[in-house]
Amino acid sequence: MSTMQAIAPGGTAEASRRRRGLAVRLLMSEYLVPGVTVIYFLVMWALVPAIATTETLLDILAAMLPLLVVAIGQTFVLIVAGIDLSAPSILATASVVGASMMTGDGGFALGTGVPVLVGIVAFLAVGLLIGLLNGVCTTRLGMPPFIVTLTTMMFFGGFALFYTSALTEDGSSFGDLPASFVAIGQGTVVGVPYSLGVAGVVMLVAHLVLSRTVFGQWLYAIGRNPRAAAISGVPVRRAVLWAFAISGLCAGIASVLYTGRLETGTPVLGQRILLDIVGGAVIGGVSLFGGQGRVTWTLYGVLFLSVVDKGLQLLGLDLASVFAIKGLVILCAAVLDAVRHRLMLRG
Amino acid sequence: MNGRNTKLFVLRNTPVLLFLVLLAAFGLMSDRFLTIGNFVNIVIQAAHIGIIAIGMTFVLLIGGIDLSVGANMYVVASVLGLFLKDLPLPVSFPLATLLGLAFGAVNGWIVTRLRVAAFITTLSTLFVGRGIALYFSGNKMVGFTPQILALGRASYFGVPSAIWAFAAVFAAAYVTLSQTTFGRQLYAVGADPDAAGKAGIDVRRIVFSVYCIAGVCAAIGGLVSLSQVAVASSTFGLQKEFPVIAATVLGGTSLFGGRGGVLGTVFGAVLIQTVENGLVMTNADPYLYPLVISVIIFIAVFVDSSRTSILERLERRQIRVERA
Repeated sequence: MSTMQAIAPGGTAEASRRRRGLAVRLLMSEYLVPGVTVIYFLVMWALVPAIATTETLLDILAAMLPLLVVAIGQTFVLIVAGIDLSAPSILATASVVGASMMTGDGGFALGTGVPVLVGIVAFLAVGLLIGLLNGVCTTRLGMPPFIVTLTTMMFFGGFALFYTSALTEDGSSFGDLPASFVAIGQGTVVGVPYSLGVAGVVMLVAHLVLSRTVFGQWLYAIGRNPRAAAISGVPVRRAVLWAFAISGLCAGIASVLYTGRLETGTPVLGQRILLDIVGGAVIGGVSLFGGQGRVTWTLYGVLFLSVVDKGLQLLGLDLASVFAIKGLVILCAAVLDAVRHRLMLRG
Repeated sequence: MNGRNTKLFVLRNTPVLLFLVLLAAFGLMSDRFLTIGNFVNIVIQAAHIGIIAIGMTFVLLIGGIDLSVGANMYVVASVLGLFLKDLPLPVSFPLATLLGLAFGAVNGWIVTRLRVAAFITTLSTLFVGRGIALYFSGNKMVGFTPQILALGRASYFGVPSAIWAFAAVFAAAYVTLSQTTFGRQLYAVGADPDAAGKAGIDVRRIVFSVYCIAGVCAAIGGLVSLSQVAVASSTFGLQKEFPVIAATVLGGTSLFGGRGGVLGTVFGAVLIQTVENGLVMTNADPYLYPLVISVIIFIAVFVDSSRTSILERLERRQIRVERA
């Protein structure tokens, strides 16, 4: 029996309107992405039961946390309608500079007695400085963020390779990192990874900054309408500068986690994750046009991407298919976002 | 010439002056650099980036962006090498170009019909495209027939084939932008899409065509590049979007649409290649190439973006106020 016959003639319009209402509400819901993630997970569970083991779940978590930290930084820049293409290069530069401080193979900070501390400070400083450089160039020199971060991406991507080739014998990476540093990326306390703690703190702080501070309100105001924000007394330049600095700092923190996990400082770190960083934020609902974004949305997007990634891996798909499917998934999310945007305009 | 006029002159011609300074610097460092033969080489090497950048110019002129050009190159190359291998070049090349057009049309369709931001659209088609091409090629190197290499090495009327292709694409693009209704409408859409729509321009059609043009140019650029290397490894075209966008922006095309042109783009592509060639000629550490090139792009774009406002200030007429 077809559905048309099942609906009583008088109730058709009413029922379809109600159904449409539900579909729209579902579509507009903040929990759409987490919902889709859960559905995807359940389907995968039926196909490959291995996805629900503790080991796999911890794997997903480990892969997701550093990405989440960079994506949160990117969220700040996206909110002011900017973009930070240099994040992958910041990951790489921080990784090699930080690792060169504390490698057992002639690290610069070995003589100080606290090489790990110096190393971590180097990671964060590199991130913060490149972020500030991006910010200064966009706000003071009046160059578009896309071009500024494109050139810093090229420059620091090249710099990381140059630095490594000049300072290591095999020219490829800095190994032999102190055990206490590696523990940050890999270690656990009563089964909970340290990296979860780090990412949790970053998330919490970022959430509070965006939702509870004046600075956060400034960022949203700038993203919605920079001219109106400036007229209302928002220090636009200073706020945008700090949005870029935060993005850089987050990339520095993420680099600590990635480098600890890999046990080496390498210039190819993060070479292919630009799509994941921007895609994660956008899937969650952060707008590329500024003014819209939340830390929790970015969390949903990154979680979704990480689960999709692991699921495709467990299905035994090759790199080619993973590429193609991930691209399609992000495209679908973007289409969905465009539909939501239009529905919102229609009211 | 007083101080103000000197300043004006320098600002107006900064890209050219930067180019001359670089030529002089590399010329002093290597006596093989400033030769006709080397310059021809530079243009041949710049041809594929230049051709793709000409397509990118159209996209940037309407305020869009196409990150998928490198993936498009790879899709075209792998299909050509795997499925169209046995066809004669006059048949397979147009087919390959059509494939590039189709790739661009998909971008254009998503951007205009599904109204997804160009950045995220082309970022995802980049991945889908590379995935499909990797699937076709089985992650292996794709080889080509010797005819393609012969074409790459051929010269007609003393001009190498790559330069012919470069010149043809440039001429077509230049005429389209400066002499046709389509070109004028394109600038109008770039300057203000809403106003252009109200003035009766079919904005969607223009935007769609622009991505198609970028797709065609990416395919032709890919073919030119193939005719020089004759193999497509799994990294063929990887991250080509960055030098392509850099060349376009270096040539003075604004990322916000409405301002720029293909003449500047050709200049930008040749400039980047000149720097790379100069670094090779002066035996610089290869690891330094990206550093030097990115700094030069940065300086050029910085000067370009700041000179507009400075020029306006300097060009203002100074009216002498007589004291009463």
